[in-house]
Amino acid sequence: MDNTTALLFEVFLETASFWYIIVPTIFLGLIVGGIPGFSAANTIIILMPLTLAMSLQGGLVFMVALYCSARMGAGIPAILVNIPGTAGAAATPLDGYPMAKQGKGQQALSISFVASCIGGLLTTIIALAAMPILARVGFYMHSTEMIVVMLFGISLIASIAAQDMVKGLIAGFLGLMIGSIGTDVVYATPRGTFGFLELYDGVPLIPALVGLFAVSEAFIIIEKKLIVTHEGDVRKPSWHATFEGVNIALKRWWHIVWTSIIGLVIGVIPGAGASIASFVAYQQSRSFSKTPELYGTGHPEGLIAPEAANNGVTSGTLVPLLVLGIPGGATAAIMLVVLQYHGVSFGPSLFENQPKVGYGMFMAMAISYVLMIFTILPLSRYMSHVTTIPTIYLAPMIISFTLVGAFVPREYMFDLYLALGFGVLGYIARRTGYHVAAILIGVILGPLLEKYFLWSLKKSDGDIMVLFSSNLGNILWLCLLLSLVLPAIFALQRKRKSQGIPIQ
Amino acid sequence: MTVINTMNRRGFLKTTVAASGALALPGIVRAQDAYPSRNINTIIPTAEGGGADRNFRAFTSVWKNKLGTEFEPGYYPGASGRVGYEIYMGKHEPDAYSLIFGNMGPEVLNWAMQAPDFDINDYFYFGQVDVDPCCLFVGAESPLQTLDDVIAEGKKRRLTVGTSRMAHPASIGLLALGEKTGADFNLVPLQGGKGTVAGAVTGEVDFSVLTSGSVIAAGESVKTLLVFGKNRVGERLNNAPDINDAFGMDLPEMLSARAFGIHRKAAEDFPDRYEKLTTTFRECFDDPALMEAYLATGGTPEYLSYGGAEECGAFAASMLELGARYKSLLSGA
Repeated sequence: MDNTTALLFEVFLETASFWYIIVPTIFLGLIVGGIPGFSAANTIIILMPLTLAMSLQGGLVFMVALYCSARMGAGIPAILVNIPGTAGAAATPLDGYPMAKQGKGQQALSISFVASCIGGLLTTIIALAAMPILARVGFYMHSTEMIVVMLFGISLIASIAAQDMVKGLIAGFLGLMIGSIGTDVVYATPRGTFGFLELYDGVPLIPALVGLFAVSEAFIIIEKKLIVTHEGDVRKPSWHATFEGVNIALKRWWHIVWTSIIGLVIGVIPGAGASIASFVAYQQSRSFSKTPELYGTGHPEGLIAPEAANNGVTSGTLVPLLVLGIPGGATAAIMLVVLQYHGVSFGPSLFENQPKVGYGMFMAMAISYVLMIFTILPLSRYMSHVTTIPTIYLAPMIISFTLVGAFVPREYMFDLYLALGFGVLGYIARRTGYHVAAILIGVILGPLLEKYFLWSLKKSDGDIMVLFSSNLGNILWLCLLLSLVLPAIFALQRKRKSQGIPIQ
Repeated sequence: MTVINTMNRRGFLKTTVAASGALALPGIVRAQDAYPSRNINTIIPTAEGGGADRNFRAFTSVWKNKLGTEFEPGYYPGASGRVGYEIYMGKHEPDAYSLIFGNMGPEVLNWAMQAPDFDINDYFYFGQVDVDPCCLFVGAESPLQTLDDVIAEGKKRRLTVGTSRMAHPASIGLLALGEKTGADFNLVPLQGGKGTVAGAVTGEVDFSVLTSGSVIAAGESVKTLLVFGKNRVGERLNNAPDINDAFGMDLPEMLSARAFGIHRKAAEDFPDRYEKLTTTFRECFDDPALMEAYLATGGTPEYLSYGGAEECGAFAASMLELGARYKSLLSGA
């Protein structure tokens, strides 16, 4: 047994001894992740005095467990009531909620939990093993390359638009326009803010998210008695449904593997986050599926892709933090601050000077995912009851909870009104057949695309050819082109096969 | 007929209560006058949990004991601090019961780029807590490893330089360096300290400029080559020289300087309150508890530095002047 293996084993035993912190933190994370507006980052901030009072290892285990479980918790309301708890879960309801409406909420939750835990665990192991290589990804993925990554996600609009091209494109374009509100990233010139200072930093994501999805959904379900489409679909929760969901997910293990790796790779790029990863994973999953037409109707693979990917991001964000001292996301940035209080200095020498801290973070993540699957999976049976709550009670609860969620991140009344405004917009869009998800993709990914685009232009003094100036970027452009064209060719092939027409 | 007024029990009680009340009244009035009789609201124009918040908590944990009251923070991030200032000036009474805790460097530069809705002379900073000089740094793997490399390369081609945002003291420091040396720099705002460090480390830009506290936190991933002010921490900033010493310049220190500000009207209408604020603020720096609190929140001890209204005023004025000079480059106007 070499030194590293012995050290890893020692760190494993030490981390596992903190099970009494991990288990309650998992439940805390599920709650904060599930409430829009709350997240692991702001919970760690609120509980900072507690974190600082803990030992270094205790605090580290607490933060990591909270991070993982909050990510998973965000998917629960996304599936059950169409409320993504965070922007990272925005792609989850695309197929999760239709499953819940079909009375398969319990299966959907099980699929989501299995995909999240396996995806998270797998990427944690990969990240641990391939940390030096993964840390290099950020050295190659600069703004020009990220433009193409953004376009992978944004091209989902075209997929959604395929059902009704004009309406889909209008919805996507509207989203992109809303996303362009705020000051520009270079000279901070205000655009479309209508004089509201609250819009200078752009349309805040959480109010847009809860408004478009949750508030509009609450308006819709008021018109119904139950969330499930037909009362006949209301099944008595049983362990069978949970195992059915587990089985569905495990049968698609390869899907979990590759979509979680998409999340991992995007997660290690500083500044890129779960929202990008989940949309890109969903788009890729749909593009290379043999049944793309099932996406959006409650297809398990459409649920697995974003959930595996956004948990892949969780382990990915730790890589640049530990190896380079650059936090990959907001939660990692807060972790950096807390660990610096304890005298931990991140960067290349971390694994030489304090290897237990570096390995301990990944070990805490791995152990959290293992414990999560055993603690949360049984709960899916009880959580799925939400879909059977009469809407007379559920709709007001959704509206009040989500409005609080819209208020929490910045504590502006303006954000609360904004959520209501987006709720009305979402309601009108749904009632008139415009896809809310297309609007949201524009709102979430539009500003990111613009940011990378303007950075590239600023760096090149306005030369548009900068978009094709790097080899990696050009390879990504080719991949994007293939991922858009190949599915159409495959679909044509399948159609011809089914019609018995020989391919020319 | 002589009427003799006799006092019954009820009358006696009424009179006693009235008399007690009359006697107590001046005390109540006195108590209301004794400043501070309630908590002091403090607007922080950045998000909760950030550097300003940690700094605020550390400082007020000591100041509250000197002043005899609690501080209640209110966080109003957005528009590079503009939202918080607009709320402070527009919605808070000028009664010395509300203060603002801002960053004099970048936030005052904002006013030079785009004037706010209020008159910037209607508030002033009276208590500087710390100073954090800006610096120029490269990623550990950058081919530019010395200041000479940077200048020489900047004369051959236009170098891309990451900055937190265009209107930032670090950006001004860099532009001044470019003017002095003839090197050509292209500022790229990477939206915050985290992105600015990442930009230099990963090679998104050739190098970056930022406040040194964030650079120190990045550890060995970066190497500091120049400080736009005094290098107070020596080795931790790689013994990088002061720009003025290195190039014979007289540039004011380019600082992130966190300070408490107050409505000018409050200081004028309530001079006794203002006096109490400033004297107790000053006393904090003589208390060892302040350094302990500052260190406990991750502060760099060398950066804890008192400044009164005069020093703050001079610094804010220099920021406005430099902002006006470089406005076209920083705002694209």
